[in-house]
Amino acid sequence: MTERQLIQQAADGDARAIRTLYDRYAPRVYAVVRRIAADDELAQDYAQEAWIRAIRALPTFRGDARFSTWLHRIAVNAALQAIRKAETRRKREAPMPDRVPVGPKRSDALLQKRLERALDALPEGMRRVLILHDVEGYTHDEIGDVLGVTAGTSKSQLFKARAKMRDMLSSLDGAAQEHGAEAWGSI
Amino acid sequence: MGQHLNADTLARLVDHPAEPGEARHLAQCERCRTELTAMRDQTDALGALPELLPPVGDWDVLEARLRSEGLVRDRGLFDRFGLARTPGWMRAAAAAVLFLGGTGVGAVLGTQGALPTAGGLSGGDAQFAQAATLESAAEAVRRAERDYVTALTRYQALLGTDGEAGAMADPSRMAALEYLVAASQAAVRQAPADPFLNGLLASTLAEREATVQRLASRRDTWF
Repeated sequence: MTERQLIQQAADGDARAIRTLYDRYAPRVYAVVRRIAADDELAQDYAQEAWIRAIRALPTFRGDARFSTWLHRIAVNAALQAIRKAETRRKREAPMPDRVPVGPKRSDALLQKRLERALDALPEGMRRVLILHDVEGYTHDEIGDVLGVTAGTSKSQLFKARAKMRDMLSSLDGAAQEHGAEAWGSI
Repeated sequence: MGQHLNADTLARLVDHPAEPGEARHLAQCERCRTELTAMRDQTDALGALPELLPPVGDWDVLEARLRSEGLVRDRGLFDRFGLARTPGWMRAAAAAVLFLGGTGVGAVLGTQGALPTAGGLSGGDAQFAQAATLESAAEAVRRAERDYVTALTRYQALLGTDGEAGAMADPSRMAALEYLVAASQAAVRQAPADPFLNGLLASTLAEREATVQRLASRRDTWF
């Protein structure tokens, strides 16, 4: 069965087709919303919302873009809108630690863990731009569309985010060298 | 050599060309070159971050939401048991029965006996009430599904091959309909604001009304 046929069946409400699409794309959807949300529980909520929206909108999917791209955009929008709603409710930003409790570079897996934790610790505005640009490969124009900012603002935020990440990671490397690798055993 | 390049400038140089002054500085300053290399490595590593698996049980939660919003239909269930031509109102009522557990339906439809009492519905409720985990709840739903399909198969046979009023006697049909109405009403009592369940109840009531009118019409002709 082609993906187009699969999508058509899912649009008709076929449970097995929807499950197949979910199995195929859930890791991609979850990854982007998890990184935007910086929180496991929120990420699950956002991913679920993204899937609900996508399945609801499937009959309108015309195939102009790749399905994965279309779904990815829905996931990003769902996460960003949910965060905006939460921000409106809280009227404050959650406190962000200045330093990230991550350890020295020991393996790719550990490097990924360090990066993920550093991403979680970035201020939200910077994190969104950094994830969309450096992780997800959006252009500044696309980021501008999604976030409602200018391409120039997107660039500015990106450079600050990269610098902040570098600062956090290098501080940790220095601390790890001072205190020894075992100091990071709790990671 | 001048001042070192600041962090924002180095971040820009990750994927933008350097201005002539910046390029001259980089050519002479090992510290800035090292920092720029580190920032490029960091950016490459971000781009290579893997996809992440959603938590275990994520699909079960999503599937429940999709069903509650009417975005999923189990075409396979009816097709699998040769019930593709089952009338729409019966499918709707089936969902209400499934909601309650469905275990009492097999008894009433299989025997064409007396309608179940309120206790007949509670058996299905108990299955779900006792389900302590998502897996056990799913198993209870699967059991209810099997019971219901068995009952629906019998009902289909009684109705005849066209799925409408056929071989089944109207009193038996009415008895089964009364049960389905009761099941739908019980479902609505549990979730009074649920538009889907209210829709099921309305469909079943409409079918019962149509059957009553058909019976009344036949009596008029007979007399």
